[in-house]
Amino acid sequence: MNWKIILISVILFGPLFWALAAGFGNDPHAVPFVLEGKKAQDFQLTSLDGKVVRLSDFRGKPVVINFWSTWCEPCKAEHDVLQHFSKTYGTTVQFLGIVYQDQAEAARAYLKNRLNLFPQLQDPNTRVGLDYGVSGVPESFFIDAKGRIRHKQAGVVTPQILVDWLRTLLTEVSSGEGQ
Amino acid sequence: MISTLGHMLILSALVASVFGSVTGLVSGARQNPKGTLWTQRAVYVFAWSMFLANFLMVYALLERDFSVSYVAQVGSHTTPTWVTVVSLWSSLEGSILFWGAIIGFYALIFTLKMRGRYAEYVPYALGVILFVCAFFSVLLAAPANPFAPTQGPIPLDGPGPNPLLQNHILMVIHPPMLYLGYVGMTIPFAIAVAALLRGKLTAGWLKPLRIWTMIPWACLTIGIVLGGWWAYEVLGWGGYWAWDPVENASFLPWLAATGYLHSTVVQERKRMLKVWTLSLVLAAFLLTILGTFMTRSGVFNSVHSFTQSPIGPIFLGFLAFLVVVCVVLLSLRSHLLVDEGKFEVVVSRESAFLLNNILFVVFTFTVLLGTIFPLVNEAIRGEQISVGEPYFDKMAVPIGMMLVFLMGVGPVLPWGRPDPSTVLKRFVFPFSVGLLTCSVCYGMGLRGWMTLATFGLCGFATVVTIWEMFSPTLERMQRRGESFSTALRLSILGGRRRFGGYIVHLGVIAIVVSIGASRSYRKTIEASLTPGQSFQLEEYTFVYEKTTMTKEPNRTSVRAAFNVYKEDSEVGVMVPGLNYYRTQREPIGTPHVKTVDGTDVYLSVLSVEPDGSRVGVKAFVFPLVFLLWWSLPIISLGSVIALWPKRRRTSSAEVIPA
Repeated sequence: MNWKIILISVILFGPLFWALAAGFGNDPHAVPFVLEGKKAQDFQLTSLDGKVVRLSDFRGKPVVINFWSTWCEPCKAEHDVLQHFSKTYGTTVQFLGIVYQDQAEAARAYLKNRLNLFPQLQDPNTRVGLDYGVSGVPESFFIDAKGRIRHKQAGVVTPQILVDWLRTLLTEVSSGEGQ
Repeated sequence: MISTLGHMLILSALVASVFGSVTGLVSGARQNPKGTLWTQRAVYVFAWSMFLANFLMVYALLERDFSVSYVAQVGSHTTPTWVTVVSLWSSLEGSILFWGAIIGFYALIFTLKMRGRYAEYVPYALGVILFVCAFFSVLLAAPANPFAPTQGPIPLDGPGPNPLLQNHILMVIHPPMLYLGYVGMTIPFAIAVAALLRGKLTAGWLKPLRIWTMIPWACLTIGIVLGGWWAYEVLGWGGYWAWDPVENASFLPWLAATGYLHSTVVQERKRMLKVWTLSLVLAAFLLTILGTFMTRSGVFNSVHSFTQSPIGPIFLGFLAFLVVVCVVLLSLRSHLLVDEGKFEVVVSRESAFLLNNILFVVFTFTVLLGTIFPLVNEAIRGEQISVGEPYFDKMAVPIGMMLVFLMGVGPVLPWGRPDPSTVLKRFVFPFSVGLLTCSVCYGMGLRGWMTLATFGLCGFATVVTIWEMFSPTLERMQRRGESFSTALRLSILGGRRRFGGYIVHLGVIAIVVSIGASRSYRKTIEASLTPGQSFQLEEYTFVYEKTTMTKEPNRTSVRAAFNVYKEDSEVGVMVPGLNYYRTQREPIGTPHVKTVDGTDVYLSVLSVEPDGSRVGVKAFVFPLVFLLWWSLPIISLGSVIALWPKRRRTSSAEVIPA
């Protein structure tokens, strides 16, 4: 038995395996999101139909903010899902759309013949997009009744994600945690 | 139906591989020919089960049988046929299934080639190969079963494979080539383990070890370069290599295997470095398993990562087991593999090889360290960092330069105990060419001493390589009065491995020159234009004409047309574009590359207004990138010559007049 080889191997491979094993459970596609758990920056924006909307108006109930644009194919794919959920959850959850780096005209034309149940806001110079650290569209933010950002969904939001998060946020409201 | 049949095929592969691995190892220990026969039969059953399982999966994909979970995951009615077929390896489970077919293919060919030869080693080797097969069969049988039936209602359509894989035809060749390289390393590993289990390494057994390492090595080289080509043609960021963890994962076994291919020369010639050589073969295989773990465990953040999956810990366990086996075998058997020769002087061919090997090992560790450092940092300090180009470039460039230097020095140095003055004389001409190369490049206005030094070293190594390739030919012409063509043919036939090796060296020099030039002298500019507007980069002018949009079943493509001029002459129309896929948030680019007088003009769309009223583009000028792609036929040719079967050599040797 050549103990030299064994010793060198333990020194070499021990830390390697330890480091590799330590990495389990990471999501390889996760992008670090520093705003999680932080208070959502308030904003005041004008909707496509000219109304002024403030985020703080909805304090006390969960808010879902969806950044989208007409040049984004996946945004179109999730449009109906968001509308459907907005209809299902009614007044218990507030849905807001923010048109991201797009012309208001194009957004209006796009929405004209589609179901459109919640306010769609214009974001001049992408100020709110920058505040929320939007890196692309679609991106959806789940904000709890206390006004804290709880989750950012980068990419298409699926019915399962919506169900899971809205259930969590609404349970907190009913149990008083989120108030 | 397909689910059940597929699962049965996987189970049959599992049973065959477990059975064969036991009979192989036992009959190796007992030297029992009957057991070997059963092991061979197990290989046939394993290979055919895997082939059929793969055909079945392709059939399910083409039939869009969404009752099979893998088809529901990557299939779609909208994808073209070629995309549907390559979906086989586009996701985790399918890629392991494909892996099974390739290992089956290698095992089958190895068994057939080795029938009736090397009886004392072959059963061990087959046992080890089938052990690895058994591991992959276990993965396929349960945690990564591609044939699992779809849970819940069967969908009417699926999302299709990752859009990045649908964007370029190179996706048909790059992954299989890489897999042929990765999976093929199992065979030299098995050969090396067989030598350790037997406790001896005869010259005869070294030959299959060398050949069976060269095959996957060549495939891996081609696979890596093709991957760079794909990145260059598809991703639109104007690069071909980013030191991404998974790119590194393919580079690591390549480095170890390249080190081996050099150390084996010393071993054959001087009967030295036996343990070292075997360790490099073992390392090359272990690094392929590490690479596979990296892509499939979810531990690394990379464009290549498949989704998170539970097979990570199983893979790590397997890797740990293999490492322990290798270490124990090496420590138990190292005293039996005694070096017969020894180093005589510091400056000799064998010491150049040794230095080359040390550099390859240092290179491997450097890349490995950079790749896993973010994990170590996260484990200790809890913060995420990434180790990128600055680290790798700083480390890789000097090591690469030293290797090119040795590529020139090694062949000039004689074996054994050379006479210093003769050695110096042999260096005068190649060194002068190297210096001349530097000066000419400087005279042409090129700057940056590292790059100039690299070009100089490449000039030096090229002269040595070409001289070494043709010196036997010249010698024959002088000594025997043969014509050039006869002398060339016979000298190649007489030393095809040497000749092929030098051709591969030329391919590697082409790669180094290309990397040096394209990274040091690239120019880039970004512009935002309305139709009719133009911008300038170096001597090129780009005029934006218009945008066209085409809707395809699986995507929407937008192409922006540019007229490109070099000074006053027209280069042609370039039409880079963006492709929008339903399932992908970011559009995927299709840059347009035109090679003009050895320089690549590269145009990539960053953003585009739907009506084409404004387009944002990024343009690059890269000198000499084409050399990188040309290295492919050069390296392939060199490998084919080096691997060409020896039988003809004997017949041609007979016609050589004494």
